[in-house]
Amino acid sequence: MASSPEWATLTDQQVVLLARGGREAAYRELIRRYERPVFALLFRMLRDRELAEDLSQETFVKALNAIDSYRPEFKFSSWIFKIANNAAIDHLRRRELDTLSLDGSPHAETPEAMQATALQIGARQESPLEAVEAKELGGAIESAIGRLRPEYRSCILLRHVEGRAYEEIAEILNLPLGTVKTYIHRARNELRLALAHLKE
Amino acid sequence: MNSASGPHLSSDDFDAWMSGAPSAEARAHLVACPECRERAEAEREIVAMISALPLMSPAEGFADRVMQRVAVPDPFFLRSIARIRQRLLATRRTAVLAATLALVVVGSMAASIVWSLGHQQTLAAMGTWLMGQASQVGWIGIRGIASNLIEQPWYSPLRDSLAHPALLGAASAFAFLLYIGGIVALRRLLTVPTRQVAHAHG
Repeated sequence: MASSPEWATLTDQQVVLLARGGREAAYRELIRRYERPVFALLFRMLRDRELAEDLSQETFVKALNAIDSYRPEFKFSSWIFKIANNAAIDHLRRRELDTLSLDGSPHAETPEAMQATALQIGARQESPLEAVEAKELGGAIESAIGRLRPEYRSCILLRHVEGRAYEEIAEILNLPLGTVKTYIHRARNELRLALAHLKE
Repeated sequence: MNSASGPHLSSDDFDAWMSGAPSAEARAHLVACPECRERAEAEREIVAMISALPLMSPAEGFADRVMQRVAVPDPFFLRSIARIRQRLLATRRTAVLAATLALVVVGSMAASIVWSLGHQQTLAAMGTWLMGQASQVGWIGIRGIASNLIEQPWYSPLRDSLAHPALLGAASAFAFLLYIGGIVALRRLLTVPTRQVAHAHG
């Protein structure tokens, strides 16, 4: 193997092999590849930026410290999403998050903390009206996803935000394929009903 | 549920339609059934809205914070282990040999531990006997050497000369110089050469 590989040309499995060989750069490459999707999944599951950041960190620390136990016949993405999803579900089970706010964490006590934990949307150039509409629409969909059952939420986020196949979602969530399909269709129905008022 | 144009579309049909590959029946049904058409459009809008959700990133320095808590294995150690394993498992014969050796070493160690635990008194008695024998042999040896020395012709003059303090001092200084000289010579002999020598290559 070359001394400094072209990371973009390597598959996840090849990067994992390099990481197992003690290459720190390989660990960093795995983080670079998955920090955004893992963080986005956890944020949308938990609706708290600080908490999502903590659990993302825990997810990576757990996965990378146990890199030897990863089985290359499975997708690395499935493995890391599984760890992240389990962390989120465990947290939700411990602490019921039924009060959702787009303006920040429900646990934030000061305006600064609310701002710090608020959902940060990308800095695309928009007119003020577009920005308000986008925020309203984005806010409505984020809020509606936040009200779904955690299992539905995981499924819909993995399917339509992360673009994972039904089979991979079934593997990540340890659910039968039929159940995953049912959850996704039910979730879409619930979202359709929850967002019906926007069409009026 | 059915409509005039047959049964309504299933969830799988809607999925196929959204991915642009509906069956011919589903396509025909959609043309004829306003209810399914409306639902299909609504589903497509929902999926488009979810897919358009903004990308999100953790705060700056995330990778550094993770790496502070990750134990990266030592590459030299891993390579050494891999090399040893490769050599041991190179052929069936070496693998069998390695396994046999490991079995013999581990087996004899285990047997030794088990026997020791079961025969502690015997071991203690053997230890005492060995210590006794060793000290007896040691004393006999010392006494033999001392008797030999005393019987040597040069012993008496040497003892008389060392009885004088000035001579004793001179003898000690000589012995000390001899010791220092020996240490210096030994260090020079053991020093690793830093410069390459011409015949070292090729």
